[in-house]
Amino acid sequence: MTIAKACVVGAGVMGSGIAAQIANAGVPVLLLDIVPKAAPGTTGDRSAIARGAIDKLLKADPAPLMSRAAARLITPGNIEDDLAQLSDVDWIVEAIIERVDLKQDLYRKLEGKRKAGSIVSSNTSTIPLSHLVAGLPDGFARDFCITHFFNPPRYMRLLEVVGGPKTRPEAIQEISAFGDVMLGKAIVHAKDTPGFVANRIGVYWMQAAVTAALDLGLTVEQADAIMGRPIGAPKTGIFGLLDLVGLDLMPHVDKSMAASLPPDDPYVKLRRDWPLLSKMIADGYTGRKGKGGFYRLNTEGGQRIKESIDLTTGTYAPSTTARLESADAAKGGLKALVSHKDKGGQYAWSVLSRLLTYAASLVPQIADNIVELDQAMKTGFNFKRGPFEMIDQMGTAWFAERLRAEKLAVPALLENAAKAGGFYKVDGGRLNYFGPDGAYHPVERAEGVLLLSDIKLSAKPILRNGSASLWDIGDGVACLEFHSKMNALDPDSLALIKQALDHVGKKMKALVIHNEAENFSVGANVGLALFAANVALWPMIDDLIGTGQAAMKAMKYAPFPVVAAPSGMALGGGCETVLHSGAVQAHAETYIGLVEVGVGVVPGWGGCKEMLVRNQPGPKDPKGPMPPVAAAFETISLAKVAKSAAEAKELRFLRATDNITMNRDRLLADAKARALKMLDDGYQPPKPPELRLPGPTGRTGLNLAVHGFALQGKALPHDVVVSDALAEVLSGGKTDFTEVVNEDHVTKLERAAFMKLVKTEGTLARMEHMLTTGKPLRN
Amino acid sequence: MSKAVIAGYVRSPFHFAGKGALTRVRPDDLAATVIRGLLEKTGVRPDDIEDLALGCAFPEGEQGLNVARLIGMIVGLPQTVAGATINRFCGSSMQAIHMAAGAIAMGSGQAFICAGIESMTRVPMMGFNPMPNPALAEKAKGAYMSMGETAENVAKKYKISRKEQEEFAVRSHRLATAARQAGKFTDEIIPIPAGKENVTSDGCIREETSMEALAGLKPAFDEKGTVTAGTSSPLTDGASACLVTSEDYAKANGLKVLARVRSSAVVGCAPEIMGIGPVAATERALKRAGLTLKDIDIVELNEAFSSQSIACMRDLKLDLDKTNIDGGAIALGHPLGATGARITGKAAALLKRESKQFALATQCIGGGQGIATVLEAA
Repeated sequence: MTIAKACVVGAGVMGSGIAAQIANAGVPVLLLDIVPKAAPGTTGDRSAIARGAIDKLLKADPAPLMSRAAARLITPGNIEDDLAQLSDVDWIVEAIIERVDLKQDLYRKLEGKRKAGSIVSSNTSTIPLSHLVAGLPDGFARDFCITHFFNPPRYMRLLEVVGGPKTRPEAIQEISAFGDVMLGKAIVHAKDTPGFVANRIGVYWMQAAVTAALDLGLTVEQADAIMGRPIGAPKTGIFGLLDLVGLDLMPHVDKSMAASLPPDDPYVKLRRDWPLLSKMIADGYTGRKGKGGFYRLNTEGGQRIKESIDLTTGTYAPSTTARLESADAAKGGLKALVSHKDKGGQYAWSVLSRLLTYAASLVPQIADNIVELDQAMKTGFNFKRGPFEMIDQMGTAWFAERLRAEKLAVPALLENAAKAGGFYKVDGGRLNYFGPDGAYHPVERAEGVLLLSDIKLSAKPILRNGSASLWDIGDGVACLEFHSKMNALDPDSLALIKQALDHVGKKMKALVIHNEAENFSVGANVGLALFAANVALWPMIDDLIGTGQAAMKAMKYAPFPVVAAPSGMALGGGCETVLHSGAVQAHAETYIGLVEVGVGVVPGWGGCKEMLVRNQPGPKDPKGPMPPVAAAFETISLAKVAKSAAEAKELRFLRATDNITMNRDRLLADAKARALKMLDDGYQPPKPPELRLPGPTGRTGLNLAVHGFALQGKALPHDVVVSDALAEVLSGGKTDFTEVVNEDHVTKLERAAFMKLVKTEGTLARMEHMLTTGKPLRN
Repeated sequence: MSKAVIAGYVRSPFHFAGKGALTRVRPDDLAATVIRGLLEKTGVRPDDIEDLALGCAFPEGEQGLNVARLIGMIVGLPQTVAGATINRFCGSSMQAIHMAAGAIAMGSGQAFICAGIESMTRVPMMGFNPMPNPALAEKAKGAYMSMGETAENVAKKYKISRKEQEEFAVRSHRLATAARQAGKFTDEIIPIPAGKENVTSDGCIREETSMEALAGLKPAFDEKGTVTAGTSSPLTDGASACLVTSEDYAKANGLKVLARVRSSAVVGCAPEIMGIGPVAATERALKRAGLTLKDIDIVELNEAFSSQSIACMRDLKLDLDKTNIDGGAIALGHPLGATGARITGKAAALLKRESKQFALATQCIGGGQGIATVLEAA
């Protein structure tokens, strides 16, 4: 059975978010909630709750939906009138309030209505599966499991799947496969224990981080300066994180954990009542959604002053930057951090020693192996490394030794792993993990998952320089990887593109451009351009544009398939790389755009030209020379960035024929398969397009529009300058629409416009501002 | 010389472009429905019609080719009825009436359909391919100036405060609301089928608007200016049509005559302040009619913007109580090509309804022009 239609019952934040992600995958989904209590005598909309939830989805930021088309796949309904529609639903997700009685009432209602063999799952985070199916028919229990999503469901990668003793193994397989391939989730198979995997460890971490901060007398700033990036946790640290998730959530989570764990569990021993937290909640300090939390923004007196709470007195004072040597020491690794003698080092050790031994004591109790636990913390709590990867980074033997030296308990699994030489080991080019059975086992990747990091374990790059490498990923396909800082493109990156094309042309069959960094590429290296401009090295900048244009053109017309496989941001030059690939296999979470105007220039590596080509009118578009020019102008002059791959298609950064992969781990394999398919289909490079552009009239027309925006205050003085240069490029310079021009005509104009702008003060100010603050200057 | 009379006036409901009830209705179909309504209401013999003169400010796309001729075919007019699309921007369909009146005077026909159409949803203002002449744009700043900017220029030149403009807009909505509630539009509106819906009433009137609501809006065209979306006529989808015949023909065929066309005028003015176009046009038309403003009982002054309406009223010393008594374009909407036939037909109908002697219909035109028609009771 494939899941062709789904239903989510419960249109709260989680339920509607799950429905949105199912719709993002292109699968129709029914979203049901209860019938609202209408005022007597009125005949209100009986599906108003679900309908309202869809409206909220469309407005929420960050957007739960990847496109407006996805919203149309969600059908609102209610559980009284619409259960008949379940007859063709393959998967029903229950996401209602956390009460066993209500959940079981609903399950009983579903029986007889739902399709035979359909799967029912609960999104519970606190109720054991055994309680949920207690007293229900075996037929129901066989089709039932827990699917525990994390908030927000589109962006959090973790999906915990929990089966019971009666659950059909095929049901678990189907849901796992759907969650992985279609919803793009990292699947962790958890056992039916309290908090499952991520919350069991994550909530313990939060409790330990708070407790240790109180015991060691740290300020909230100091605690967060250590408990964030230095340990590989999100930068909010611990108190910032509590502010973000909501302080009022914590007593519920704590109560539920404490009640369901055995009294000798380390969590139960660690946890304690915390009067300050109760007082803050009672006073309305519930975090960012309330008046503030451990941090607040004091706007009294007209200024916005960030303040932090004093953990002992409960009073607020202006925040200060914590200066801890240990935080800097963390750059040398976790071991350096926890070995540091200052308060921060002690704090890190206190939390991590407890957290990591706790995690080591829970395998195989909560999940079969350490890989699942590491995956859960990485994808459910956004840790950079999982607990066992953290131990390995410090040195497993060293960690165990220090625990012993401090007379702390060493769990058997840790003891054994320390003796064996660590939790992970590369053997024969494959990554192995240490099993509870005391032996190493290969880390299995699902069918269709290909990771560059796995390939790197056993191979050396074909080509390499400081900014990029070329790898052999098998079957004659090469992978070009960017790896400069933030994957900014520089002369080395361009040189490697050129070399890669030469190499693949001679010795291989196809090229994929992909990397596993957070962002595909944030664009050309602005620092380099600014440096050259400051010393008037104009030929160097001009050469960088020319080299880039040549590299992009060579990619586009390579005689073999070039497939870009971006994930994360693909901006500026990163976007131009994608635009010049023969095909794109994009991760659904790709944020693509030509943002050059933000630093006061126009796209110079063929971005302007490519947007003109892509906006050539289709059969349904208005004819004439202006519509493609106006469309490209709008996209580039407003620096529009698509907030998903689906939106990138709407903005024409991606072609209708480009493909989208939901699961990032499947991106490289999908891109490789795409390249091989293109070869099979007899790949031919594209024919160079012929363009008819309006010439000066187009520039005048666009400038008239910009004049209006300038009056409205929407375009600032330097925007007008940059827009004029862009208008000149896109309208084709001095051409006339009776003339046919080629791509080189436009890229020449791009180059000239870039050089003209980079010599203006306004543009240099924008570049400098971007480099120092990371934000665009409005001048 | 035969006199021309207005022997019928109808229009479609007017709705916001882009979001109103008529967005999915093709402009040629919209005009055809309105013209069918006109034929039915007046009972004119189609075979007697000389020409369908149709005003349209952006005659391209679905309004392109010679859409007047095509609309004649959609309506099912006899083949012998000719069709001409006429463009004088906002003055287009008033111009159609002037041309019919002129033809009648010359004995070149006895019955004309003078209609107007604009779907500002389906054909954007400026058209799909705005291609200004670079040399002219350099030489004459006002040539391609946006209408909003000209409205700001007029507000500045005449020192018209934002509050004054807002009072005028509130009045327009108040009068339009009252007129609708009193059923005063039912006579002129032809229902338009739009998908499963039948659109029978106007969509732009904001019954609840207030000074407070308008005060909250940001300037729409100049961040330091006074003109807001609330004091501008909205982008609108709509169509209108008048039956213009010779007085003799109307009498011989028992048509219900609303008014006689007494005089008309067009005149150019500075494009940067195109909104004052009605001043010179009105003066010219009155002179030709041998009348003064004191003689005028009913005024339909197109409300492109509050600022230009107030400026015109000030210069002409127009009586507010006689002007736009059922509301104007700020409340009703301004489908460019359709407005001229609406206000001329409306002025004629009001002359009849209010049993008055003389009426004036006048409007400003982008690019710097004014157009005016003087009507008299028949």
